[in-house]
Amino acid sequence: MSKYLKAEEQQLENTALELQSHALKAGAEAVEVCGTFLHKTKITLEKQDFHLASTDDNYVFGIRTLVEGKQGFSSCNTVDPKELKEIAARSVQIAAVSPQNPFISIEAGPNLSSDTKLNLFDKELFQVSLQTQKEWARLLKDAATRDKRFRLNEGSIDIVAGATLVSNSKGTLMRATENAAYWSLMGMGVDGNQITSFDYFQEMARNPIQVQEKLLLSTRDFCSQLLEGLKTGPTKSYKGLVAFSPRAVAQILLSGLAYHFNGRNVVEGSTRWSAGDLGQCVLHPAISVQDLPWLSDRTGAALFDREGIPTRNTTLLNKGVLSEFLLDSYATKALGQAHSNGHAAGGPSSLPGVGAFCLCMEGGIEPRSALMVRAAAQQKEYLLIHRFSGNVDPVTGDFSGVAKAADWCIDGKPAYVGKETLISGNIFEALKDGLFGLSKERVVINASEECPTLIADGISVTGSQR
Amino acid sequence: MKDLSAKLKLLASRSPHWVEFRYHRRHVQTLQVQKGLVKQLKSSVTSGVGIRVLVNGAWGFSATSDLSDSSLEKSLKRAIECGTSLSQVKQSKVKTLPPVRLAKGEFVLSGYESLSEMSLEEKLEAVRRAEAQTRDKSPAIETASGYYNEIFEDKIVITSDGADALSRLVRNEFRLSAFAGKAGEKASATQTVGRTGSWECLFEDHSIDSLSEEAARLAVDLVGAPRVQGGLATLILSPAMVGLLSHEAIGHTVEADFVLSGSVAAGKLGQTVASPLVTLVDGGRVDGAPHGGGDLLVDDEGVPTQSTEIIKEGVLKSYLHNRESAAAFDVEPTGNARAWLYNDEPLIRMRNTYIRPGAQSIEEIIASTEDGYLVDGPRGGQADSTGEFMFGAQNVSRIKNGKVTELLRGATISGQAFKVLSTVDAVSQEFKLDLGAGYCGKGQPAKVDAGGPYIRCKALVGGVQE
Repeated sequence: MSKYLKAEEQQLENTALELQSHALKAGAEAVEVCGTFLHKTKITLEKQDFHLASTDDNYVFGIRTLVEGKQGFSSCNTVDPKELKEIAARSVQIAAVSPQNPFISIEAGPNLSSDTKLNLFDKELFQVSLQTQKEWARLLKDAATRDKRFRLNEGSIDIVAGATLVSNSKGTLMRATENAAYWSLMGMGVDGNQITSFDYFQEMARNPIQVQEKLLLSTRDFCSQLLEGLKTGPTKSYKGLVAFSPRAVAQILLSGLAYHFNGRNVVEGSTRWSAGDLGQCVLHPAISVQDLPWLSDRTGAALFDREGIPTRNTTLLNKGVLSEFLLDSYATKALGQAHSNGHAAGGPSSLPGVGAFCLCMEGGIEPRSALMVRAAAQQKEYLLIHRFSGNVDPVTGDFSGVAKAADWCIDGKPAYVGKETLISGNIFEALKDGLFGLSKERVVINASEECPTLIADGISVTGSQR
Repeated sequence: MKDLSAKLKLLASRSPHWVEFRYHRRHVQTLQVQKGLVKQLKSSVTSGVGIRVLVNGAWGFSATSDLSDSSLEKSLKRAIECGTSLSQVKQSKVKTLPPVRLAKGEFVLSGYESLSEMSLEEKLEAVRRAEAQTRDKSPAIETASGYYNEIFEDKIVITSDGADALSRLVRNEFRLSAFAGKAGEKASATQTVGRTGSWECLFEDHSIDSLSEEAARLAVDLVGAPRVQGGLATLILSPAMVGLLSHEAIGHTVEADFVLSGSVAAGKLGQTVASPLVTLVDGGRVDGAPHGGGDLLVDDEGVPTQSTEIIKEGVLKSYLHNRESAAAFDVEPTGNARAWLYNDEPLIRMRNTYIRPGAQSIEEIIASTEDGYLVDGPRGGQADSTGEFMFGAQNVSRIKNGKVTELLRGATISGQAFKVLSTVDAVSQEFKLDLGAGYCGKGQPAKVDAGGPYIRCKALVGGVQE
């Protein structure tokens, strides 16, 4: 148990035991409780100024019960004994009216510590005062508004400390404490009649030294890139090469693929690939994707999943070959696999689902600049998309939307930002026969996914010069 | 509720600063069935009090789920500490909030009692039947999914300047999706309904049978359907798409917090921004369309909701306000302050946003269209500071020589909001709110509705280039 959130961790454990006891007495044959405590202080910026300071402490508990192989679930945000009894009873009542589902289970967990020394709690950060947080917020505001053309619509700096527990009546008990500082900005560039698109970024740090190192740098990078959007020019319509920045790769291509890695979607038959495709080459051999939960500088870092299973690094695609799906206990059973690979996702107020912690796409062997020039040899002018405002149909893989702040590249170099430009294509075509190349360099996006720049052929661009 | 209300009033009367107490209890029940199996059946209760204070022109906020006297007093003290701390650095102090008629009494929308009395078994059976019958519609349907969600909300808003409102409502939504496949091609289609009210009113315009029929038919027809040609096109937008246009393209740009940050609507009050056929409204209730998914009698600052004409016959007339922005613009608040949970700060949000109907029939509008597309099936959307919007459409039908011809795959529609509204040359007499299953995201979710008549306009379609 952590030294710093000891009382809260004890409260989580006591409440979990209380909920289990109530549910077993009410007729449940197995019970799982997921509980969290969260303490958050937040300073919000708005319209170039400070806006609000706030604080919030809360517990949330979710209780999953099994009655004759039928599942019930309820959640609450209280530790009031009377309400806890009601919540446990409600979960059992829901199980009673649910139909049986052979794949639902509450398993005896291994209670193992992860194969990692990942530490997500920092005592220095835990002791940061509101005064220091206010100073960090001032640095964020001043860095953002140093260039008067940047309009800060909204921003914040949050310091969050919390504890998580997963326990079940089969003997699983996993707990962890975590804290971090997060900062974010949303704004636009305005210069006379020229207005850029809105843009947003988020960054995080796990200790005060990292905050000092990253806060100004990340804010200045974001603002200067956004202000580049004031230099606009015309774009042409074509079908051909399009370069996707690391952020666009994450937003369009990786998010589309994530649907097809999800074991529950595989069970339901709505994915492109089935269990029979494991070990088969399904995409271009340059494409490798992993889920990496032990990167402490990422928002998704975790020691165990929503069902209390220790996390591990998971290779999903290796050189185009489908290696594994993301599994929770439900998908594991339904797909006839031996063990869950620890990808039960969700918070305490929702039933476990399946999700990734931090998807990362491998880079290629070519430097980004060389890749851009090689593309220009095939097609003199093309679009480099940085952000996408549109839809990806995960089932078909079709995507269509507005290319925000997209650079119109001439001879492999960004010439200006294209306005009113739309793109459309298909992720499977782009990542198979349409793949032109991947950059060696990779970038972490919003303290989460990590991707290279990617160029694909066969993408339709509807430009502003029609 | 009445005891708590009395307790909060007493605390408000003792506060040395302007204070707002907002008790919010939210009970959510969710049912989901996929491929014959119950995927989700859950109940979730979240309750607590959010306390907002205005100290020397700066906002402080604190929240607690513990309703004891000591916890409420401690939370008020923390909110004051937050506000005091922020007031030392805030440059532009919040003006005194404008005097306004604040809500007093009970504000209840129909449906809460009857929906809470209807058994969970009955609701589950309806969802199971709907999912099964959708799967049985065609051998090409590989899987289907049925989803039902209901949100019961109880609120108390007490302010130290006189708001004293108890409110109660229930919002519900139903989604039915079909996934079809033929010869390696896949497609999906979803039909949704959402209301504020009873089970009966949820299905009064669209029966479960008709939703099932339409989802299955569309999914099957969309498999292998050709793609839309990208470019500027004449579009007839369905009421749901008009709702998305009203909400995304216009509604967000006239939220006064965005206006103050420099949105494209800033400084345009009194100017012609749309065709004279366009009158655009945001209201807490809609005449002729009861049970809108965004119905609201009192907002989260205790201000009675208004029906606000944003654009009247093409001229921009009003922005959407909370009390703070109303003070900045020296106008009356419009009742648009909304918070998702007790521990969220109220933000300026829309309610039911729509374009008023016109005089023509949809048949007349189609018959007078030589070449264009009929666009339906909203699939999310986004707006930008520039007024550029994007929204996804599930299905697009070609119109040639006054007749609807072939069905095409979904696409993205985009354009500059005011420019597109200026091209409106036909507005139908048929009218409905049709986005009640939707949520708006702006840091926090919000249940909203939107709709209107069919309109004909010109906008960009993000399709393929040959």
